[in-house]
Amino acid sequence: MGDKTMTTTEVGRSLPRLEARQKVTGRANYTHNLKLPGMVHAKVFRSTVPHGKILSIDTAEAASYPGVAAVVTGKDILDVVPEPYYGPAFHDQPILALNKVRYVGEPVAVVLADDPRIAAEAVELIDAVYEELPAVYDETEAMTSDAVVHDELKPAGTFPDLKHLNGRKDTNIALDFHLKQGHADAAFASAAHVFAHSFQTQQTMHTPMEPIISLAEPSGDRLIIHTASQSPSFVRSEVARLLGWSENRVQVKVGHLGGGFGAKLYIKLEALVAALALLCRRPVRLSLSMEEQFYTISKHASTFHIKSAVDKDGRITARKCEVLWNGGAYADIGPRVTQKSGFTATGPYDIAAADIDSYALYTNRPPAGALRGFGIPQLVWAYESHTDLIARELGMDPVEFRRRNILKDGRPHVTGTVMKDAAIDAVLETLAERMRWSEPFDRGEGTVKRGRGVAIGFKACVSPTTSVATVTVAADGSVTLHHATVDMGQGSDTAMAQIVAEVLGVRTEEIRVVDPDTDVTPYDMATLGSRSTFHMGNAVRKAAEHARTQLDDMAKSLGMAETAAGRVKEVFRRTYGMQAGTVVGVGTYIPEYVSPNEDGLSDNVTPFWMIGGTGVEVEVDTETGRTKLLKMVNAADLGTALNPRIVETQLSGAAIMQLGFTVSEEMILDGGQVTNASLADYKIPGIKDIPPVIENCIVDAHTETGPFGAKGVGESATFGVSPAVAEAIQDACGVRLTRLPMTAEAIFHALHGDKK
Amino acid sequence: MSFELISPNTLRDALDLLDVDDPSIRPFSGGTALRLMMKSGVFSPSKLVVLRGIPDLSGIEISDDGSLTIGALSTLAEVETSALVARQVPVLAGALKHLSNRRVRNVARIGGAIAHGDPHMDLPPLLSALNAEVIVESRNGRRHIAVEDLVIGYYETLLEPDELIVALRIPAQDDWHSAYRKVTARSADDWPALGVATSISHEGKEIRDIRLVVGAATERPTRLDISEGVLRSEGVAGLPRAVEAAMESVEVMDDSHGSATWKKALLGVELRRSVEEILGRNA
Repeated sequence: MGDKTMTTTEVGRSLPRLEARQKVTGRANYTHNLKLPGMVHAKVFRSTVPHGKILSIDTAEAASYPGVAAVVTGKDILDVVPEPYYGPAFHDQPILALNKVRYVGEPVAVVLADDPRIAAEAVELIDAVYEELPAVYDETEAMTSDAVVHDELKPAGTFPDLKHLNGRKDTNIALDFHLKQGHADAAFASAAHVFAHSFQTQQTMHTPMEPIISLAEPSGDRLIIHTASQSPSFVRSEVARLLGWSENRVQVKVGHLGGGFGAKLYIKLEALVAALALLCRRPVRLSLSMEEQFYTISKHASTFHIKSAVDKDGRITARKCEVLWNGGAYADIGPRVTQKSGFTATGPYDIAAADIDSYALYTNRPPAGALRGFGIPQLVWAYESHTDLIARELGMDPVEFRRRNILKDGRPHVTGTVMKDAAIDAVLETLAERMRWSEPFDRGEGTVKRGRGVAIGFKACVSPTTSVATVTVAADGSVTLHHATVDMGQGSDTAMAQIVAEVLGVRTEEIRVVDPDTDVTPYDMATLGSRSTFHMGNAVRKAAEHARTQLDDMAKSLGMAETAAGRVKEVFRRTYGMQAGTVVGVGTYIPEYVSPNEDGLSDNVTPFWMIGGTGVEVEVDTETGRTKLLKMVNAADLGTALNPRIVETQLSGAAIMQLGFTVSEEMILDGGQVTNASLADYKIPGIKDIPPVIENCIVDAHTETGPFGAKGVGESATFGVSPAVAEAIQDACGVRLTRLPMTAEAIFHALHGDKK
Repeated sequence: MSFELISPNTLRDALDLLDVDDPSIRPFSGGTALRLMMKSGVFSPSKLVVLRGIPDLSGIEISDDGSLTIGALSTLAEVETSALVARQVPVLAGALKHLSNRRVRNVARIGGAIAHGDPHMDLPPLLSALNAEVIVESRNGRRHIAVEDLVIGYYETLLEPDELIVALRIPAQDDWHSAYRKVTARSADDWPALGVATSISHEGKEIRDIRLVVGAATERPTRLDISEGVLRSEGVAGLPRAVEAAMESVEVMDDSHGSATWKKALLGVELRRSVEEILGRNA
């Protein structure tokens, strides 16, 4: 057993991911590999109109197609789920469309067949007739539109702060969040300078390489759901709620995920396969194609109006933010994004007075949810672009302007929470140093111009949330960890095992980590928002310490020694007279937290802050608009790294993903129809699209409340990418873009003025 | 959606399976393009004739006159890495390095890439500028078609449904020098938004003859006749006029890769740069 005071040996070690060999040799356990005896395949028939009343669905021809087992519509679902509406914030999403459809691609019916190709062919034979209703797509229009997506708001009962929205009618505003700190109006009235800008982001998609998949298997009076989910505990409780069952009748099992990024949270296909399995009394498999993912979940498009009051010395005295989030047809987790991200809209700056208004809006687009950053990249895009524009107006160096206004530890954030363990200034200084900001810069020649930019951002962690873990020590001293954090490629199994190994003084590689299975692994809120290292990490540490305490007590009562360290096998043998017995350590973690009051204020709004920033150097071909990234530096405060090498890949991965959203990715809509819903036409960055130089910097930091000083890191390097690129483009060639993505063509039009 | 998959072992058997009156029977080589069309439901074959098992349709040979003959079933990667191609037509090897990605180049076949007729492709404009031709066979015999004439419209070629490209012939380039410049809009390995292929026979800065072909931004690969004429008569001094003529005369499409306005500007820039590149390189 390890000693509490010894230097760490397992934590901080850059060992490879535990499952790496299994993955590269094709042996890792993915839900896609699972074949159940007697299972049928489901294929979804989707709406072709953006908003309409369902007049009829003709399924006769599909039902009589050879090989088809059944055709199911929303009405059939009612036989097993009388109230078939689900969602984490609002119970607004039907398992299959009922009475109305609200976006092109919404599931309307399902064909079940033994052969997935038969199911796909039969889907083509279904005919639905709709009475089209006026539709709304734009978030600004949705604020006042006559087209109303939902007749009535239906907040989930689990969130007390949504209760006032219950039954609200004739509005597309699913949630409005407001924060008021100090006297912003007075500060604006007396300001030396006032700056106002507006920024927009586009709708994009997660594109996990493993598309969304779920299977449901009836088993006696129970149901087993095998699913590629980031939130097995939520799936269990939500499916149990829909069925009116106790939670222990629903078992949710998750293997490795081929990427998640927020696409596989809450309920995606699980409620549908559960209902289908109960209807046809057979195991049902539903695997989406890459194309269908575009009709399932996406990242919020947004519009952000930002206004700052600045004094004669270049200090920001007040800021007003209005943020509109385009949530699409169903709320998913959008209202949480609106609030939990909304309150950071003024940025990591020391500002005494602020007004924030943040609105979650329904539109007739595919639903938007959480995507690597939970709304923060949209906010940072706006407030850091705004920051650079102010610095330009004031004639100040952009890094110097940030230094003058930066929010330091010990100072209050606009919510009233005093900053702690938030190395914002260290992230900025690391970027400035690695970008050689104070040194002369080559500006290119002829028609090819060079420029550079830096941007920083921060994020609060969604709170309060709970994680539970158990650590089991067998009589031979071997250790098993049960926890429901889902490893979707981020390396969480490895990091959690490192924590256990550190506490129990064993090698990380010897620890068995059990895949999430709600029959076995205890509750966890979900794998999202970079919460796992901190929350589950703390729970795992407590569980390991609990196991160690029990072992030590056994050793003491045998009169052996003060600790069981190094003699666990002997302790068990002497306690039970043979190699027998089990020690189970349990750890539960929920951080302290104070809910914001009616002004959006709280003196403890987050368990920790994530800080990230990016610097880029670009080269713009001013004749064509084509822009190359020559260098990218990412820096983050993630506390003390549990596994530095995995952390670096989290930083580069996040930054490259956001680079796609910055320069190319966009879901193009025509009359509500996504016209580029495939990887042939929706391009994510390939190896030739990423900068030749990417540096990833872990700033020296420690999080007092984190496990061994660590905190979350999965999203931090997304924050600064977009505004840093926008500033670098302006630095190079003088044009400022305020809408993403910043394509070569958009830069060309900005330079040459001749809009298409 | 079900179809028949047949794998003949000889060219004769393959040609016998094709039917001039039935376009739902299609030859299938690498499948990189056809599979996308099938997946999106644009094309539903009744029969696919898999060509991969046919011997003697791959390989790259040089003739006494210096021309290259490339078997139609050669993969793009085989052409890309061929020492003969690198020596005789380096511009082709260079262009292939930036065509889509390695996974596609390892399976896509050169015959299929020419026969496909999608305007967003690199090889048709380049091979047109190189004055290449394809050798086409059906049960009724053989014919030669200049690549420049092959594509007659949007996904339309001169090939009959019962014809197969069996080989590509690229003449000796002698004193011709070439460049291929392209722009992709959405990712580096995307289909081109614009491709400009330029071949110049010149001595120093003096242009003796020139072939200019634009692809991807137009409905089909298009010869820039007027610009060629200007450069032939005025030499390099006429480059600004040639560029202007190209931008004025060519009908550029709006599509998901970009607006016609942008691509027209790209055409002007890339045309100027490619002429300058060739003359500068060989000055």
